[in-house]
Amino acid sequence: MRSFFKILLLAGCVLAVLRFDATAAEPARRIDVKRLSKNIDDVVVPLPNEIFGALNKLDSVNWKEFVRTNKGTNFTERPRIALLLGTVIADGFIAVQAEDAPSVKEIGQRVVSLAKGIGVGSSIVPHAKAITEAADHRNWPAVRQELDRTQNSVQQAMNEVHDEKLSQLVSLGGWLRGTEVLTAVVNRHFSADGAELLHQPDLLDYFQRKLHGMPEFNLPLLGKIQSSLVEVKPLIDIDSPISAASVKKINEITTRLDEGIVTRTP
Amino acid sequence: MRSPSPTARRTALFLGALLVLQVAASRATVDDAHSFALQSAEPYVRQGYQVREDYWGGDLGVGEKKAVRQQLFKGNDYWFWMGTEVEQAKVSVHVYDADGRLSEQPDSWQKGHFAAAHLIPKTTGSYFIIVAVESSPEDRTHWALVYGFK
Repeated sequence: MRSFFKILLLAGCVLAVLRFDATAAEPARRIDVKRLSKNIDDVVVPLPNEIFGALNKLDSVNWKEFVRTNKGTNFTERPRIALLLGTVIADGFIAVQAEDAPSVKEIGQRVVSLAKGIGVGSSIVPHAKAITEAADHRNWPAVRQELDRTQNSVQQAMNEVHDEKLSQLVSLGGWLRGTEVLTAVVNRHFSADGAELLHQPDLLDYFQRKLHGMPEFNLPLLGKIQSSLVEVKPLIDIDSPISAASVKKINEITTRLDEGIVTRTP
Repeated sequence: MRSPSPTARRTALFLGALLVLQVAASRATVDDAHSFALQSAEPYVRQGYQVREDYWGGDLGVGEKKAVRQQLFKGNDYWFWMGTEVEQAKVSVHVYDADGRLSEQPDSWQKGHFAAAHLIPKTTGSYFIIVAVESSPEDRTHWALVYGFK
């Protein structure tokens, strides 16, 4: 009888340990995010096609009208090339949404020439080749993957030579072009869900912080972007739904900035 | 100015070589962890998830956590995959919204040195991806996190 109780006690202990282990694996239902601040990475910048994909699920978008292949201006200032490069990669994602193979291929070539201008061309030539091949086969998931690889390779090559700031400008250029197209689409057929895609206050903070840390570039365009982001902030950093008027305003701002990025205005 | 003695030069060279080796070794293991994270993602790619090239990684002690903040969009469907090359380790990944509420889907999973969290965001905004090493025979365990969306 005594040994039966011993076994029972032992089994109870084992069960308790197992239960403790299972409980330990259960995630907390709630955490205090303020206490994370010491151990937190910068916000991750989404790819333009993450936004376009979400937008596509809300409404049928005529992507063809946003396709842009115009070769644009050639710059010598590296920060300007970096911004333009980000914009052109975003154009690549738009051309993929439109399933426009000739434009995708043209954009692929433009990306190579811009990357060469910034000294990182060799790292992306294989991707440009892969983009052309995938576009010829109308393999759109593969083109998307290669565009992602292109951006990643360009930014890694920049980071390796300690050009992190240029790498951040590539992300910023892509984000501005993506936001311009997002607001253009939502502005045309307004929906609260579409406008909600603009709720990106941490991303905006991130870009503001990064721009603030680039005084050495001393480009009027970067100053304009900085002051424009200050204008955008109160329009999206709100608890209530983002209004049609705000979407229109953000579209005007990002269109103006995009013109500044692709043309030789000071 | 006096030139350093041959012994000092040899010691400096040895320390330099040691540092290079250590950096190379640490890079190799984060890369290995990345391969394991990608391995977890493989079956999902066949389901149409696009896995991003970029990844996050580092090393953590047992019980230590790291947060990655990410902008996510309502309408998309996301998976986050974590892996480590330390096969006896147990890792976890969970997703919380900006207010700190657990937001992942019930099909999120944890299997030894692999873990994955599934999120279908109810709102567009910032989310916190919390990675942790629950147990490991190593003092510091390399980890990598990749994500995909569709």
